[in-house]
Amino acid sequence: MRKVWAGLFAGAVALLGVGVFGTQRVFSANAGPDAAYVKECSACHIAFPAQYLPKRSWERILGSLDKHFGENATLSPTALAPIKAYLDAHAADSAMGNPRILRDVPASVTPIRITEMPFWTRAHAKLIARKAFDAPKVKSGANCIACHRGAANGRFEDDD
Amino acid sequence: MNIRFMAGLALAALIPVLAYAAAAQKPVLDAYAVAAKAENTGFSGFSAERGKVFFLAKHDASSETPSCTTCHTTDPTKAGQTRAGKDIAPMAVSKTPDRYTDAEKTEKWFLRNCQSVLGRACTAQEKGDFITFMASL
Ligand code: HEC
Ligand code: HEC
Ligand code: HEC
Repeated sequence: MRKVWAGLFAGAVALLGVGVFGTQRVFSANAGPDAAYVKECSACHIAFPAQYLPKRSWERILGSLDKHFGENATLSPTALAPIKAYLDAHAADSAMGNPRILRDVPASVTPIRITEMPFWTRAHAKLIARKAFDAPKVKSGANCIACHRGAANGRFEDDD
Repeated sequence: MNIRFMAGLALAALIPVLAYAAAAQKPVLDAYAVAAKAENTGFSGFSAERGKVFFLAKHDASSETPSCTTCHTTDPTKAGQTRAGKDIAPMAVSKTPDRYTDAEKTEKWFLRNCQSVLGRACTAQEKGDFITFMASL
């Protein structure tokens, strides 16, 4: 399996070239997520980096947890409050965020998936073309940690 | 130190843990028994057999999550997987001893998963049967 990934990475790196590595800082999501967020939002997938969606997206997600991508992920209002505060303070359009993440996202659009953000589809264009995200070991583009081993800590730049 | 001795030590340490497992779930189960009596005056206890049938049943409230087994697999002693590909520790108490010991956590997940799979809340009878089944494995 490692070999397959090594091949995939090599392929992706060759395609994306220095461009991607040159911008790795830009995409690195290095603010440590807080405990409440990790506790409640990492049971079904990793606690996604707050920096990868704008505030309005997090608000929409937190406001519809009873219908969360086909599942019920309801939280009590007490559990929700600190999560909302954290995501608000670390979103792409917060002081902690990076405006480049929002490139090509019109203000009128509220994405609810990181995997539909232009920065994400650009970085994974070759893998998308190869249907790499349908592989049984991966299951979904949202399974960041299948390919980015540092994903739970907000690290996406290292290729292991 | 000798490997066998170490293995022996590890095993010896495990025995009291296993014996203790069912007792650790008692407070949560007792609370469901009280609720089940309130729901139904004819309540006559929980059954692992009924819990098993409930766990394996297919429902038609959701095409994405038709059964508890969609994520927890048909073998509760094995790890399951979420739809986003993350591992779920086994539901069987013998494998994950701290399951059903934190009432708030257990209730939170019954609320979510019953809504997702059945499209309604589970009854206290169903919850107690489920835990009794998981504690019997
Ligand atoms: C009960 C399980 C569950 C819980 C708890 C949960 N999620 Fe999700 N989440 C899902 C599923 C299922 C998907 C869709 C995954 C897929 O398409 O592969 C998803 C997808 C997402 C996505 C989009 C991922 C993408 O494709 O880019 C975001 C963002 C997200 N969740 C945020 C959250 C937040 C914030 C919380 C905590 C409040 C949370 N989730 C808690 C199950 C859950
Ligand atoms: C199928 C494997 C796979 C999955 C799943 C995956 N990625 Fe990637 N990702 C890659 C590869 C391969 C690259 C390009 C190689 C590189 O630049 O290191 C990449 C590049 C990136 C980059 C650009 C890195 C940089 O240095 O500029 C980011 C950011 C990123 N991924 C985030 C994510 C996030 C967030 C998720 C989950 C929502 C995710 N990825 C899911 C394989 C994957
Ligand atoms: C969409 C995936 C999914 C489905 C379907 C699902 N579960 Fe779960 N369940 C989870 C996840 C994820 C957890 C939390 C993971 C953990 O605690 O390790 C969980 C946890 C639980 C818990 C909490 C256990 C504890 O430690 O206290 C109970 C109880 C539970 N599930 C019951 C059910 C029942 C009953 C069904 C069927 C009606 C069901 N689940 C269907 C994903 C699912």
